[in-house]
Amino acid sequence: MLMTGEQYIESLRKLNTRVYMFGEKVDNWVDHPIIRPSINCVKVTYDLAQDPEYKDLMTVKSNLTGETVNRFAHLHQSTEDLKNKVKMQRLCGQKTGSCFQRCVGMDAFNAMFSSTYEIDKKYGTNYHENFKNFLIQVQQNDWVVDGAMTDPKGDRGLAPHAQRDKDLFVRIKERREDGIVVCGAKCHQTGSINSHWHIVMPTQAMREEDADYAVAFACPSDADGMYMVYGRQSCDTRKLEEGADIDLGNAQFGGQEALVVFDDVFIPNEYIFLAGEYEFAGMVVERFAGYHRQSYGGCKVGVGDVLIGAAALAAEYNGAQKASHVKDKLIEMTHLNETLYCCGIACSTEGYPTEAGNYQIDLLLANVCKQNITRFPYEIVRLAEDIAGGLMVTMPSQKDFDSDLAVGRNGETIGEICNKFYAAAPSCTTEQRMRVLRLIENLCLGAAAVGYRTESMHGAGSPQAQRIMIQRQGNIEGKKALAKAIAGIKE
Amino acid sequence: MKCGVKFCGGCNPHYQRGDAFRRIQADMPEIEFEYAEEGTDYDHLLVIGGCTACCPIIDQYTVNGDVLKMWSEDHVDIIEEKLEEKLK
Ligand SMILES: Cc1cc2nc3c(=O)[nH]c(=O)nc-3n(C[C@H](O)[C@H](O)[C@H](O)COP(=O)(O)OP(=O)(O)OC[C@H]3O[C@@H](n4cnc5c(N)ncnc54)[C@H](O)[C@@H]3O)c2cc1C
Ligand code: SF4
Repeated sequence: MLMTGEQYIESLRKLNTRVYMFGEKVDNWVDHPIIRPSINCVKVTYDLAQDPEYKDLMTVKSNLTGETVNRFAHLHQSTEDLKNKVKMQRLCGQKTGSCFQRCVGMDAFNAMFSSTYEIDKKYGTNYHENFKNFLIQVQQNDWVVDGAMTDPKGDRGLAPHAQRDKDLFVRIKERREDGIVVCGAKCHQTGSINSHWHIVMPTQAMREEDADYAVAFACPSDADGMYMVYGRQSCDTRKLEEGADIDLGNAQFGGQEALVVFDDVFIPNEYIFLAGEYEFAGMVVERFAGYHRQSYGGCKVGVGDVLIGAAALAAEYNGAQKASHVKDKLIEMTHLNETLYCCGIACSTEGYPTEAGNYQIDLLLANVCKQNITRFPYEIVRLAEDIAGGLMVTMPSQKDFDSDLAVGRNGETIGEICNKFYAAAPSCTTEQRMRVLRLIENLCLGAAAVGYRTESMHGAGSPQAQRIMIQRQGNIEGKKALAKAIAGIKE
Repeated sequence: MKCGVKFCGGCNPHYQRGDAFRRIQADMPEIEFEYAEEGTDYDHLLVIGGCTACCPIIDQYTVNGDVLKMWSEDHVDIIEEKLEEKLK
């Protein structure tokens, strides 16, 4: 059954998720001012699913149960579904101007569904049935699930088993009749605290010596032995200041990442999806990363839409909107943003069915998509900063603008002085100008830059990971044959 | 006259679809508009897309009359004219 946004928030209160921040335990993390914007952001994925204006994208009929489910919990059944996924992500990016966190789970569902099918085919294991049963629970309860792939990895030059500390990759510590005990950690986990459950997957292809690290499973976020340490974001403590709404740039929404620790967590057999079949670790990684590289062709584009809009407003408020170079910069930003969208749609359109029946994106095009994502948002940010002017980083605080402390010779207050000197075109108030510049700051180098910039670089794999895939999928031999045929080169 | 209403998912609409619908609704109080549901019979179906793709899938709805599609604010008048025709 679909939850409303409010029901989602109430459902989080029922969890006993252990959260630590600034060296302390956070008991009421749902209402914590640093965490709450990220929860509001996930809530949007529930609110939009209830809204007739958006539910065509946000909801879909489940192939598993025949019920209407949130698309974030869906197995893609066609290329149309793959495209709708990208469109939904663009929409959510537009509505939140942030990372809305629910995609990693969706990408994990689709990767695990097809991978478990193929593992079972080879080994006669029961992982696919386990996974299907789990996903039905997810759909029926409308849960948020974190897709947890990235391990701490320690020395990048060493394989998991060769690390000085055995826990630097999540591993099976003990095998029991009724399940496994796992330990280790996952880094950079998007929305982990806001998730009801976690799906844990291996972080890289594995060899035989690393069989204990080839492990995938699901567990509730408040499983015994599990806890999370909140990741800092640029300007995060502004959220703790009173009367700093405008300074936040985006007071309502934000992203979230955390370190998730598995301190000897027991996983019952029915929630295990991979346990030692090491040659399939690479398949899980490749599929999850493929879907996630497609995802960015939607979500980052939606956030880009917000940034382009903010830059256009800043130009207007500055009275510079008619300048040809400003118009041209907005065109360039739009061109870059829509190019990313083209990539997201293209890799979806060229999708194909897996053996298990759900649809997979075109891997080459998804990797090209993500490679562009590692670059274009940076250029869009550069152009936004150009249009915004220096004030986006030098402006006094909201408290100054609100201050009635008299400081001028004629008794002018700090607020009056700020309003006097930061007034611009008559089309806007000083407050409106402040608001839009703070939003640009938030997206370009504040809290939302975690999602819009660095996540664009490293999320779903650093640039080199895509280049390796592009090399593998690029069919250079085929291209050489084409050139030979045209040049008249005979073997 | 009962007219089902189907919005697209709104991934990148070029106008305020909700406002456009409310305008049509206000201008034509004699028509019973309701959000389209499967299993309900409609005299006509109004499909409100956000852009030229106007992509909603509508095969699942039971429509006895016509499917009227719009994807721009400029279409409001045309849709109203068409609905006016149907009322005659
Ligand atoms: C905001 C954000 C959100 C994220 N969300 C999630 C999430 O929800 N779930 C999840 O599982 N992961 C998530 N990630 C993790 C993401 O997938 C990783 O950041 C990415 O895979 C890179 O890993 P790393 O950060 O450890 O970088 P590193 O591995 O330290 O890479 C740094 C640099 O070193 C290079 N390098 C690393 N190892 C080697 C090597 N062996 N040989 C040559 N070069 C090497 C890389 O190419 C890169 O240039 C997120 C990341 C960010 C930034
Ligand atoms: S009609 Fe246009 S805006 Fe609406 S969902 Fe389809 S593509 Fe997106």
